[in-house]
Amino acid sequence: MLKEDSESANGNKWVELNMGPQHPSMHGVLRLRVKLDGEIVKECEPIIGYLHRNAEKLCELDYYCDATVYFDRMDYVGAMNMEVGYLEAAEKLLDIPPPERAQWIRLIMAELNRIAAHLVWTGAFGLDLGMLTPFFYCFAEREKIQRIFVDISGSRQQLNYMSIGGVYQDINDKIIYDIEQFIDQFPKKLEDINKTFIKNDIFISRNKGMGILEPEVALDYGVTGPMLRASGIDYDIRKKEPYLMYDKVNFDVPVSYKKDNLARYLVRIEEMRQSIKILKQAIKKIPDGPYFNPKAKKPLMIRLRGDGDVYARTESSKGEFGVYLVGDGGVKPYRVRVRSPTFKNLSVAPVLVKDQMIADLIAILGTFDLVFGEIDR
Amino acid sequence: MNILLRLALFFAGAGHYGSYFLAYIFETIFFMIFVAVVLIFTIYLFRKYMARLQLRYGPNRVGKFGSLQLIADALKLMGKESILPSGRDDFAFRVAPLIVFIGLFVGFAIIPYGSFYWIGSLTITHSNVSLLLIFGALAIMPIGEIVAGASSKNKYAVLGALRGVAKDISFEIPMMLSVIALVMMASARTANGLNLEDLTSVQFIPYGIPEVIGLFVFFIAMIARAAYSPFDLGESDSELVSGYSTEYSGMRFGMFYMGLFGSIFLGSMLVSVLYLGGYNGPFSSYAGFIYLLIKTLILVLVAFLVWLSIPRIRIDRFVNMGWKYLLPIAVINLIISGVLTLGLGI
Repeated sequence: MLKEDSESANGNKWVELNMGPQHPSMHGVLRLRVKLDGEIVKECEPIIGYLHRNAEKLCELDYYCDATVYFDRMDYVGAMNMEVGYLEAAEKLLDIPPPERAQWIRLIMAELNRIAAHLVWTGAFGLDLGMLTPFFYCFAEREKIQRIFVDISGSRQQLNYMSIGGVYQDINDKIIYDIEQFIDQFPKKLEDINKTFIKNDIFISRNKGMGILEPEVALDYGVTGPMLRASGIDYDIRKKEPYLMYDKVNFDVPVSYKKDNLARYLVRIEEMRQSIKILKQAIKKIPDGPYFNPKAKKPLMIRLRGDGDVYARTESSKGEFGVYLVGDGGVKPYRVRVRSPTFKNLSVAPVLVKDQMIADLIAILGTFDLVFGEIDR
Repeated sequence: MNILLRLALFFAGAGHYGSYFLAYIFETIFFMIFVAVVLIFTIYLFRKYMARLQLRYGPNRVGKFGSLQLIADALKLMGKESILPSGRDDFAFRVAPLIVFIGLFVGFAIIPYGSFYWIGSLTITHSNVSLLLIFGALAIMPIGEIVAGASSKNKYAVLGALRGVAKDISFEIPMMLSVIALVMMASARTANGLNLEDLTSVQFIPYGIPEVIGLFVFFIAMIARAAYSPFDLGESDSELVSGYSTEYSGMRFGMFYMGLFGSIFLGSMLVSVLYLGGYNGPFSSYAGFIYLLIKTLILVLVAFLVWLSIPRIRIDRFVNMGWKYLLPIAVINLIISGVLTLGLGI
C-alpha cells in the first residue's frame, strides 16, 4: 500500500517522509525530508526558505535608522537582541556612540529578552516532548517581561525600541520598579519550572545521552550559542568581545561537557539565572544622563551618512549574531548581511539525527531553538 | 427490580411483548443519552481541569461556566465538511470511526452500574461472562484505529497505526494477567468469577487492597490502552501530526476524539468495578450508581493529572515497559494471588 520511495545501498527499502512545513511540531516553517527505516531516521535533509522575506535587501532600500524594524522581524522571539546586533554595527559605521545610560538600558532590555526567548524555548521544548503544562508556566513568566516591553515601547513583539544613538524613550521609575519586581520573583518561578522538567524520569530518559554533538563537529559547522557551550566550548561574545556594558558586570558563562540534549537544556536554564544576575547588577548601575546621542536627533537621523564597512557581532539568545554593513557614503547602506546563528546551527541537524528514532528527531531538533524569521530572513 | 422491568411495567398497557419491546427501545435510548452525557462531561471536565492546571480559564463563554461549550463544539463538528482523502480505501475509511464508537458503546453497556434509588439496578447487560465480553468490546476499539491508519493512505497514519498495534500487543497481556489474578481470588467466594456483578458483590473489602500490584499494572495498562499522554504514541502530535486520525475531519474526527475520552472514562469505570468495589458502599442498594460515579471520577482526575504532567515516552521504551516490567510484575502478582487465595484463604 505504501510506495517505497527510495532504496539504500544494500537494497533496504526506505520510506520517504516529508515533515513540514505545516507539521505541528516543526518550529515555524521548517520542512524536513526524512528517510525512514521503520522508525529509524536514515537521512534527514532540512529544507528552508518558506519564510524568506528579503529582509537584508529591504534594509538596503531604507535609511540607516529604519532598518531596526526589519531586524525586529528576524528573531521575533528575541527582538531586542536583534536590534542590539544591528545597532552595534550601524553605530560603529556611522560613528555615533550611544551615551552610557542608553547602553545600560539596552543591556537590561537585551537580557530581559534573552530570558523571554529562553522561556519560549523551554516551553516549546516541553511541547515537543509531549509535556503540555510547563508551556503555560513559561509563558506566564514571559508575559511579565512582555508587559515591561509594552510599557517602554508600546508593542509586544516587534518592539522597535532602540534607535541609532540611543533608545526611543527613557525608562522611568515605574519601569525600574517593574523590572526589580520581576527579578525578585523570577528565580523561584524558574526553579519551579525547572523542577517540572528535571524531576521527571521520562524527561531525563528522553534527553540524556541523546543527540550528542561533538565539539569538533560543532566547530566545523559553525555552531554557536548555547548549543556550542553545551558541547564544552566556552565561547560567548559577551565575554570574548564585550559589547554594550558586559565588561562592567559580573557573570558566568555556563558550559557543559555532556554534549547531549539535557546539557543544552541545562545550559539555557543556567543562562536565565545568569541573566538575572546581570540584571540585578545593571539595574543599580544605570547612570543619569541623556538616553540618546544628540547627533542622531529625529530630523537629523535620515541624513546620517556611512562610509566603509563594518562587522559587529553580538550574542543573541540563539548564538553569535553578526551584522556586516557596507556604506558607500550615502544615506542608505550599500550592503547589509546577517550572520544568523540558527541558520548555522540548523546545518548540523542531519549529522545529529542520523540513526536516531523519529521521536528523538523531534526532541533533538527541539533543542536547536529554531526561529524561522531569523533563518530565512 | 431493574431498569428494564421498571420500563416494562410503565408500558404494561402495550401487552406482554409490546411492553418489553418498548422497554428495550427506551432503555437503549436512555443508555445512549447517558453515554453522550458522560462523553460531553468528561471532555468538559478535562478542559476545565487542564485550564486550572495551566493558569487558564478554560471554556467560559457558552452557557454558565462554559457548560454548553462542548455541545456547541459537537454541533460545529457535525456541521463541518468531512473531507475524504483521494486514494483512500473508501469503505474502511468510512467504517473505522464507527468501529471505535461501537466498541465504546458495547463496553459501556456491559458495566454493572448498581442501583439508583427507586429505579433499582441500572445494569443493562446481564451475562455470565461479562468480564470476557467487556474485554472483547475493548479489543474492538484498537481495530478501528488500525483500520483508520491503514485506509487513509497517509504515511503518518500508517506509522500511527503500526504503533497502535505494538501498543495493544504489549499491554493486553499484562492487563489480562492481572485480571486473571482477580478472577482467581473471586472464585474462592463466588461460583462465577467471570460475571462482573458477582465479582463486584463479593468485594467486601475492595480488591485493590489485596491486589495492589494488580491494580498498579491494570491502571498503567488501562492508561496505555486508552492511548493518551504519556502513551499517546499512536497520535503523538509532535511526531506524527495526528497519527491514525490525521486524514479525518468533521464528525468522523469527532468520533475518534470522543472515543479517546470515552475510553478514559470506561477504563476508569472498569478499574473501579474490578478493584475499588464498584457500586459497593453504605446503602448501596439506593446509591450504588453514585458510588461508582464518584470512584470513577477520582480515577479520571488521576488519569488527567498523569496526562497533563508527564512527557511522552518513546515507542521502544514503551514496548519494553510492557514486556520487561509489567509482564513479570503481573506474573508475580498472579503467584501472590494464588498464595493468598489457596494458602491463606483470603
